[in-house]
Amino acid sequence: MFAVPAPLVTGWFGEGRYRLSDDLPTWATALVVVLVVLSILLLWVEVRRGHPRGLWVLMTGVLGTFALACAVLRPVHVKLKGRTIPGSVIVLVDSSHRMDLPATDRFGLIEQSRRELARGAVEDLRHHLSGSRIVVREFDSGLLDQGDAKKGATSDLLAALGQALGESAELPSSIVVVSDGRLARPSGTVDDAWTSALRAAAQGVAVHTIGVSQAYPADRSLRSVGLTGSAVAHQPFRLEIEVGCEPSAACDEAEVRVKELLERQEPQVLSTGRAKFEQGRALLSLELTLEQAGNRALLIELTSATPDDVVQNDRRIVPVFVRRDRLRMLHVAGRPTYDVRALRKFLKSDESIDLVSFFILRTESDQVQAEQEELALIPFPVDELFSEHLSSFDAIILQDIDAPRYRLDRYFGALRDYVVRGGGLILVGGPTGFSSGGYAGSPLEEVLPVYLPREGELIVRKAFVPQFTEAGRVAPILKPLRSTMGEELPEMSGANALGSARPGALVLWEHPSELARAGAMTQRMPVLAVYEQGDGRSVAISVDGSHQLRFGTVGAKTGGRAHADLWEGLLGWLMRDPRYESAQLRLDGECLAHRDQTLLVDPIPGLGDDIQVRLEKLGAGVSDSLPLQQLEPGAGGTRRFVARQIPEGGYAARVRVGAAPPTRSVIACEDGGEAWSDSRPDPERLEAIARATGGTAVTAGRVSQLPKSTASFIATHRESRPWLEAWVWATLAVSLMSLHWLVRRSVGHV
Amino acid sequence: MLCGLGALGWSLSAHGFGEEGAFHARLLSIRDEPLDTELTATRRWALELTRRTSAPGKLASFVVEPKSNELLKEPFLVWVGDKDPGELDQRAVRGLRQYLRMGGILVVDDRDPKKGAFLRGARREIGRVLPESTPVRLDRNHVLFKSFYIVARPQGRVIGPDSVEAIVSGKDVQVLFLAHDLLGALARQGETWALPMEEGEANAREYAIRFAVNIAMYVLCSDYKDDQVHAPFLMRRRQER
Repeated sequence: MFAVPAPLVTGWFGEGRYRLSDDLPTWATALVVVLVVLSILLLWVEVRRGHPRGLWVLMTGVLGTFALACAVLRPVHVKLKGRTIPGSVIVLVDSSHRMDLPATDRFGLIEQSRRELARGAVEDLRHHLSGSRIVVREFDSGLLDQGDAKKGATSDLLAALGQALGESAELPSSIVVVSDGRLARPSGTVDDAWTSALRAAAQGVAVHTIGVSQAYPADRSLRSVGLTGSAVAHQPFRLEIEVGCEPSAACDEAEVRVKELLERQEPQVLSTGRAKFEQGRALLSLELTLEQAGNRALLIELTSATPDDVVQNDRRIVPVFVRRDRLRMLHVAGRPTYDVRALRKFLKSDESIDLVSFFILRTESDQVQAEQEELALIPFPVDELFSEHLSSFDAIILQDIDAPRYRLDRYFGALRDYVVRGGGLILVGGPTGFSSGGYAGSPLEEVLPVYLPREGELIVRKAFVPQFTEAGRVAPILKPLRSTMGEELPEMSGANALGSARPGALVLWEHPSELARAGAMTQRMPVLAVYEQGDGRSVAISVDGSHQLRFGTVGAKTGGRAHADLWEGLLGWLMRDPRYESAQLRLDGECLAHRDQTLLVDPIPGLGDDIQVRLEKLGAGVSDSLPLQQLEPGAGGTRRFVARQIPEGGYAARVRVGAAPPTRSVIACEDGGEAWSDSRPDPERLEAIARATGGTAVTAGRVSQLPKSTASFIATHRESRPWLEAWVWATLAVSLMSLHWLVRRSVGHV
Repeated sequence: MLCGLGALGWSLSAHGFGEEGAFHARLLSIRDEPLDTELTATRRWALELTRRTSAPGKLASFVVEPKSNELLKEPFLVWVGDKDPGELDQRAVRGLRQYLRMGGILVVDDRDPKKGAFLRGARREIGRVLPESTPVRLDRNHVLFKSFYIVARPQGRVIGPDSVEAIVSGKDVQVLFLAHDLLGALARQGETWALPMEEGEANAREYAIRFAVNIAMYVLCSDYKDDQVHAPFLMRRRQER
């Protein structure tokens, strides 16, 4: 909009100039002139001594010397033709997202944004410099291309200066910067280094500045939010928050709340603190603990009674990657078997797992024939585990445990919420697992990958060999197992009867002949299925013979490696290990609300071309997810999807590649974002920039005070004509010097 | 007895699904020696386990040869005898080596510990199977002594030494050497015990059964009772005793 070049003003220059010589170097011309002056001085001294006919000697000597000098120099008349071109001015207009903040004059807020004010200032500048060539360019973190609608969070003037002058064929007569002054560069204290860097970027050209905002708006804001170190699941970490408030005299204190945004749940308050302002600024260090690893979204809210012109920067939504130092896992088994043994040995073999195991070793009907003190048994702490400590586990394995018998059913609701909030759950089959163990119709069933039958035969007693489904063949979860075993799986002695997969769940193994006993009963019965519900994930495996992959005739073929391959894949997927995800998802730049946002997806090769991305807003009361439109593919197989005009909030983005299980990530879209975190303009910085480069600083209403640029002449034709031809000068010189010799001879001085 | 039949009934009804990973004491047969008495003992071992604990046990008796593919089917074997077993052939050595290296557990039980010929011979042959390993004496705090019952010492039909030796890989027992005739204490003849205990009939047999249950629990749960969560409780129990 601004980048329209000024009209070119041209003219012809026809005046000539005389030059002593057109071809001799300057030093030679100077030498000749010096010799002429010395010669005349010598003549003058000679004549002053009372020379007879001194005047004649002097006159002929001077004329002869001049003629000789002209014969050497051959003076010319030079005539130039060319254009008078008006001065070139580069106008750099700050176009970062920050320029959408309201503008202020020295009396306070005005009814325009800084961007609108900048637009008006550029129009005024065009009027004021109507005789100049004006090139208007927008910049944020660098120079923007024409028509680039994307606005960045920061303004880097040094980068923009370097790019603008690099693109220009000639140095402009001046540069004009239109901004509010809160620049990312040049920033900091104005000192020699600061000035040198600025002058180097401007290449000696004067930089004039037009400030589009003068006073601080009445605003309290979350100026910065940062983590001390990195966030590790289950371990407290600190959030360093800087809160600003203007006008500072009116600021007392404000409350800051940090919440975690969760899928289909109300945000959970993690920490609160009070910011007490000193000179309009307060620093808070809040301690919080995130129990679940992976991509999480934090909402930081600022509340205060003081007036606020910019409410958008009272909230920040910050994505946090919570890494996992160690995996804390709970393994509960209803009875000890070789399957339990194999799984425990696998879990214990992984140094990164903190394993808490509880196996039911004795039931009420068992006849131990011993006093209590002769037994090495402790009570199963079901209440403690599933209420107090539940959130401290990254994943829970419930293996063949009768839920009502061990009062686990009381905590089904808590377990469901645990999964929805980001926990991992694996249900392993056995005679007292799934429907046989009282799980059917329970709240926990809602987060399982499969429906559970409530009646009929709850156990499939016939031996079978599970089959890989299409999803199982392509899923990265089972890729290591398939690499080791191929299609071969051990025979299972039976399975828990399961219903069909829930919508969104994926079946990786299925029964070769049995049909689902609930849900869509025409489908094959799932044996191994995975599901993502809310922030968490769940796995259902309805057999109890996976230990045969470790020890047994099938396991012997791989040295037992296949068992680890299976469980590493299942646990890795449950814990969102990137190795088992079907794609990686990232944002293309900062996500700002109500604007189009591009998401970049890098799928694992070989999973197919059908890629779908859906966004679901985090929080309670959200019903549907939003499918995103795919754009033309980017470089290197990266797929681009666009989210159009999405409102402010945290979002769960799910990518599904072909039949593989979905990959989930969290993105945060803010109204103001980083650019609006500090709404104060910085007119002093603009003044310093102008001062350092020899420019002039003005406000948007005083553009006419900027100096006008000077025109430049560009020669297009040069005509050089000698006063006299060279032979004439030579003849004249010889004649006059001869005459001089004759005069001298006549008076006896030769 | 009714309890035992009940457990037997449950175990049989769950045959198939659920029994795949049940405890099963299989007998290792090197030569074609008769093992009928020992088979009654392994059945009794599984029965006592299912009667007393939540663990499932396979009541079917089973004898496997070291050259057989069946060797690798399940991770528990008992090698029992009363005289020097002689030299194992190379196939048997290779089979047992693979079994143990994959994580299988072998209990070597001497039926005549007074002579000790079987144990000596078995140790010699196991030395050929695992030449890099040496038997070590298990500490009294080893999980074998607290995997279900808190037991003070190993016990079988014969009182024998108050400690056991084992070949250990990492923290896992691979081979357990018993000089107590454990299967002798469990062997049945009709409705009665097949062999009298060396001394203290009732109590000694009960302690032998408890030790057998602990071995079974160790096979099923490995070092579960070594978990930190059990430590303060077990320490208190030991002090009480």
